[in-house]
Amino acid sequence: MGIVTVLWEKWVEFKRDFLKITFAALITPLMYLIVFGIGIKTTSHGQPYMNYLIPGLVSMVTMTGSFGAIAQNMSVQRLYEKALDQVMVSPTPLWQFILGQIIGGSIRGMYAAAVILVMTWPFRTGLIFNGWSFFILFLNGTVFSTIALVLSFLAKSYSDAPRYTSFIIMPMSFLCNTFFSTEEMPMGFRQVISLLPLSQTSDMVRTISAGGSPNSTGFIILFVYLIVFSAISVFFIYKKKNL
Amino acid sequence: MIELKNLTKQFGDFTAVRDLNLKIETGEFFGLLGPNGAGKTTTISMLSTVLLPSSGEILINGKPLTRRNSVEKQKLSVVTQEYSMRMDMNMDQVMEYQGRLYYMPLKAIREKTEELLSFTGLTKHRKRTVRKLSGGMKRRLMVCRALLTEPEILLLDEPTAGMDPIARRQMWNLLRQLNEKDLTIILTTHYIDEAQSLCDRVAFIDGGELNTIDTPQNLIDRLGIYAIDETSDKTLKSKYFHDRAEAIDYLSKADSNAAMRNTTLEDVFIETVGKHL
Repeated sequence: MGIVTVLWEKWVEFKRDFLKITFAALITPLMYLIVFGIGIKTTSHGQPYMNYLIPGLVSMVTMTGSFGAIAQNMSVQRLYEKALDQVMVSPTPLWQFILGQIIGGSIRGMYAAAVILVMTWPFRTGLIFNGWSFFILFLNGTVFSTIALVLSFLAKSYSDAPRYTSFIIMPMSFLCNTFFSTEEMPMGFRQVISLLPLSQTSDMVRTISAGGSPNSTGFIILFVYLIVFSAISVFFIYKKKNL
Repeated sequence: MIELKNLTKQFGDFTAVRDLNLKIETGEFFGLLGPNGAGKTTTISMLSTVLLPSSGEILINGKPLTRRNSVEKQKLSVVTQEYSMRMDMNMDQVMEYQGRLYYMPLKAIREKTEELLSFTGLTKHRKRTVRKLSGGMKRRLMVCRALLTEPEILLLDEPTAGMDPIARRQMWNLLRQLNEKDLTIILTTHYIDEAQSLCDRVAFIDGGELNTIDTPQNLIDRLGIYAIDETSDKTLKSKYFHDRAEAIDYLSKADSNAAMRNTTLEDVFIETVGKHL
């Protein structure tokens, strides 16, 4: 029930800011597609680079869409509007509030991914996006929603949200299998980067898009992130003394 | 009954509330008064579970109030000092969000919203987002939101701050009506006349500690029901008397800048809490 309330709140926000959300989801990936996919015509792994790029971009926007929807919103609600107080006082179980945020954030990420898929449809790439792809993308969205929740509970001011984007999301966007394979990175650094959730998501979605099957390690890594960060979020909302 | 047992809240080295013990009866209108930084808002925040106590506990009808305790939280509603609302929602959405958080059926939310917005004169502004409302309108909306769920306990942290005198009086009347229906109200306010007019009992807290607790009338009686204000060297000094004849005698001997009046709760507050400020 509490989950439905949070999803309703997200729906109200989505309806109101529909155009802003859609254009924000569209603009950065569009630039990448134009520059790398159309402007600089290269090949990768024997295929047009566009075929390599699209699965990476779709994965990336589930990260940015989910993270952005939660980090910004929760920081403002907690520190500026104090609207989180309304939730804290209410009888809605706080774990349901957290779960609603995670699902709502992930749906926003999925919406951003859908926008990219629709936008790249005319290119007729032949890439495969099936139920598994969407499940992985949803899972990736939940992971980044929980990371956003934890960071927004740690934020000291609402201007911290853009900083988190600069320090965490931006580097991941470029380094985690979006534009080039982590295999091309130096030893040591490569192992660390490949353990990050976006690297795993991009890798699995790209494998499926080429007709292959994703390995189970990717799922395990994403679930570990999801469980750890969800647990921290729930701990914070129940136990943090000065929320 | 609400019981605060040895309630303490520390922020690092600073103790905002120290060992606070209070018992508030069901249906009581209780005032929590104190100067700025006395710990009033911190106490309300602990009562609403936004802050967790460093030690001590809060009991509602003998059951501990925690963030997990949905049954006890269902009985509570709060009007915070700050406008704790989604600024990008309109009034209907603010009310619906509140109703949903309290598991109210949609039909009941809509009917009660209609009634409350109409009662507080907000109906014609209902489609405006909170951001575009005046301070007084935001306050009234917060009260509507708190009353939507028909709470048993209403926590009011300076509910009339920023309201004009007419709106304040309307709010007082509303609160009196609610209290008559057996709603327990805990009020913090800087307007001591508000507490005197509304509260069955008041507690003065200072430096996070309980200083005095009693009915407004008992506190006034204890100080002396007659006050004489004397102005000399641009400073105002007041003297208090239990006996009218004694007060008149003092007044007759005082210089021309003296006047007699009834003692108020504000006098008690200044004498009790303000002396060492």
